[in-house]
Parts: sequence; structure tokens; C-alpha cells
Amino acid sequence: MDRPPGLPETTSRRGLLIGLVLGVPVIGYGLRGAFVDADDTHPTELARWVIGAALVHDLVVVPVAAAVALLVRRFTPRRAWPPVRSGLVATGVFVAVGWPFIRGYGRDPTNPSLLPRNYGAGVAAAVVVVWLVVAAWVAWRYMPARITRWSSGSRRPSTRSSPRGR
Amino acid sequence: MRQRVAAPGPQSELHEVRSAAWLGLGLGITFGTCFVTGLWSHLAQDPPAWFTYPARPAGLYRVTQGLHVASGVAAIPLLLAKLWVVHPRFFEWPPARSVLHAVERLALVPLVGGGLFQLLSGTFNVARWYPWSFFFPRAHFWVAWITIGALAIHVGAKAAATRDAVGRRRQAPESQGELATDRRAFLGGVAATSVGLVVATAGGTVTALSPVSVLAQRRPGVGPQGFPVNKSAAAAGVTDLARDPTFRLVIEGAVDRRLELSLDDLRALPQREARLPIACVEGWSASARWRGVSVRDLLALAGAAVDAEATVESLQPSGRYRTAYINGDQSADRATLLAVDLDGEPLHIDHGYPVRLIGPNRPGVLQTKWVSKLVVH
Repeated sequence: MDRPPGLPETTSRRGLLIGLVLGVPVIGYGLRGAFVDADDTHPTELARWVIGAALVHDLVVVPVAAAVALLVRRFTPRRAWPPVRSGLVATGVFVAVGWPFIRGYGRDPTNPSLLPRNYGAGVAAAVVVVWLVVAAWVAWRYMPARITRWSSGSRRPSTRSSPRGR
Repeated sequence: MRQRVAAPGPQSELHEVRSAAWLGLGLGITFGTCFVTGLWSHLAQDPPAWFTYPARPAGLYRVTQGLHVASGVAAIPLLLAKLWVVHPRFFEWPPARSVLHAVERLALVPLVGGGLFQLLSGTFNVARWYPWSFFFPRAHFWVAWITIGALAIHVGAKAAATRDAVGRRRQAPESQGELATDRRAFLGGVAATSVGLVVATAGGTVTALSPVSVLAQRRPGVGPQGFPVNKSAAAAGVTDLARDPTFRLVIEGAVDRRLELSLDDLRALPQREARLPIACVEGWSASARWRGVSVRDLLALAGAAVDAEATVESLQPSGRYRTAYINGDQSADRATLLAVDLDGEPLHIDHGYPVRLIGPNRPGVLQTKWVSKLVVH
């Protein structure tokens, strides 16, 4: 591609314009509401949370995930990557979502029916299940039948090289 | 760099169009479901003048709100995976290639920030953790509009590419080989995580899942009288008021006869029974057999129309949910009760002793406890 087009290849100009006609008033309605309701929404703090969520994601979550992905590439055999990656995704999500439950920030001593479980043990059990599934998946990927099928196919999985084609 | 981003092929096995398309489709469905069900919940709690929230079917809110929380939970792994897949594009250079491109990218700020905030704040709300000063439902509501507007722009821009990428046949060249196997494994792992997370949280409303719902906010059967409590009498500051033997339920406002009824008076009136759920905005729900006097009968006794609108007031000295509105359809419904019994026993104080409101298809926060007044409009 010699000249960069005005839009990414996956963007439809017409669709984007239609989306803008529909979406911009809706965003405007939401912004207006957040300001009209300022007593409840505390717009400055709310904006900090919304923008902050994106920044923390991009500047903390993504680099950490990238570092972990790199370690997986480095230290696990090629064929185990997909199961291990999925296991890490599931583990990360369960621990992150479970965190406020495990810490019990929302507990109310006068209401034992709220957050009644041992969430730490629950998340630990979920993570154990995840890694049992990962182990089974890795084993399946190493089964002889598959190796036979792979070797007769056009591509043979390498245990070393990255398929990035850089 | 420019070429790398513009190239249709995969930059790595995961960062490519087909993954983004499938995840985008999943997010469109889950966020769309969240928006519609959330709007429904808003209409139930804050109905505009032109809208009458229906009293039936009795279990509808339980379904819509259960769906709201479940689809939000399902969206968490999808959104994280989607951002992971597309994040190399966030750093593309130059940042914008045309004014329209700049606008498209600018719209990603409310989309990404809003989407993350909605899932984060919703999760925190289910965990009852409020590390902020704003009022969660309002903030969640307005950010939903901002997010869905930004989503409309994004869907408009990407719908065609998504349709192409998802619709392409498995025989297509990019669907063959190791990259495609990896992609399918990645998407499968993300989908499985979504399903697992829903299973892990849905046990507060789907009883069968409770044993494996390790992150459910509630456990069916756990609570006074075997029933979960949203807010205890102690937390609401009503313990003494509710136990006061001089308690009277007052029916006043636009009535022919103002009534003051003791608990014994209430029990002496014709009792009705209804099996109804408490369905909390936080996604848990549980059904019980409630018994008491129907609002309709009390309105008739006071000489008001049986479908008169009314407001119930709680003994609670303060709080946003101290009062709740009952529309005409709900008043007229025989199952809208001022209940005194739960599953055949007098209400536990944490369930609203001496009298609580319970009606079909109402959000839990509007099933007012410790009711002291019914004000007819």
C-alpha cells in the first residue's frame, strides 16, 4: 500500500457516518444526563473513573499481559501455548473478578446472608479446575493420533519458531 | 509500521481481524442485552410519565435483571480479549490518517473507558463495594448511554468488516493452518471463561448452579427464614421502630376514610397469598410464599379506587429507597400485598416486620420493608 487510505481497511466510511449520526446524539444525551444529575453522578470523579479505567487497562493490564505472554512463549513448548494461554486468561479473570468478593469489602456484619461464601476457597477451586482442564487439553494436543494427523498435513507444528513471520 | 497495521493478514496469531470480529460480535450481543435490560430496570425504578411499568408477568424482572447481570459478567472476558487483540492498533502511527479517522478513534475513548467502567462498576456493585462517592445506579445509567452511543459509531464503522470476517468460510486460506488453530483455541478459551464466569456468579438466582457458583453474592436458603436479606433492620436503623407495640399502618392521602391499622387489625382483614420472587438489581433472586392484605383491598376499604396510584413509606428514617411508588396496574393486581407472613411465619424483622410491600414484577429495592404508610395519590 503506497498511500495510506483515510481510514483503516476494516472501517466502512458509510457505516461510520451512519454510526456517527446515530451515536453522537446518544453520547450527548448521556453526557448531558451525567451533568444534569451532577448531585448523584459527581461528574469529575466519574470522568476520572471512566478515563482511569481505560488508562489502567492500557498502561498496566496490557503490559502485564504482554509480559506474561512473552514468558509463555519463552518457557512452554509451542504446542502447549493455546491451552496455557487460555488457562492464564481464565485464572486472571477469576482472580480479578473475585478480588472484591475475596476481600469481602462489601460485607455487612448485620446481614450474614450477603456474601455468605468463602470466596477465596471458591476462586482457588475454580483455578484448580481451570488448570486440570488445561492439563487435559495439553495432553490431548500431544496424543499420538494428532501427531500422525499433523505430520501428514501440510504444516507441522514447530516447538521453537514463532509463526509471526517477521 | 503503517503497512503492518494496514495489512489484512495477522500481525500475530491472535491480533487479527477474525478474532476481533468474533469477539466484537459477542460484545455487541452482551452489551446490547445489558443496555436493553438495564433500560428496562431504569423504567421500573424511575418510570417517565408516558410509561406504565406492567405488573405482569410476575417473574419478568427476575429474568430481565438476571440476564442483565449475566450478560455483563459474560462480557468481561470478551472485552479484555477484544482489547488484547486490537491493542497494537492503539499505538499505530500516525495516530490519524484523516479527519474521519480521527473522529473514529476519538469515539474509542468513551467506548473503551465506558465499557470497562460499566463492567467494573457492575462487578463492584454485585460485590457491594463502592470505592467512589457517586451514586452507582445513576453513574452506571448515564455512562451506559455514553457507551452505547460510542458502540453505535463503532458498530457502524465495523459492521461490514465483521460480517465479512465472520461469514468467511473455513476453507478460506486464513482459516487453515496453525494460526487458525491458535485463533480458534484462543477464542474457545475466552468463550469458556465467559461461560465459567457466568456459572460462577449465577447461583444467586439459578438455584441449581448454587453449589458451583463460587462467586455468587447469595446462597439460596441462607438468611433469616431461609431467605436472603438485602438490607438488615439494624443497617436501616429501624429495629426499635419496627418492634414498637404502638405501630400503626396508616392509609391516607386521596381517600374517603383515613385508616390506622394495628398489626392485629391487619391480620383480621381478609388475607391473600402469593408466591412471588424478590429480584434484586444485583442479580440474585429468590421466591417465597407471602401472605397479607392486598393493596387493592386496603384501597377499597379506605374508599379509594382499587387501581389508584400510591406511595408506600417505610419506618426507615432515611435512605433513597425509603418510599416506593405503586402504579395503577400494580395496585389493581391482587398479588400486590402488604405482607405480614413469609412462608407461613410472621416476617423476620430483617424481612420487614411488621409489614412489607411485595408485588409482582417489581425490582427488589421497590419491595419496601417496614411499611408504615400507604399514601394514595
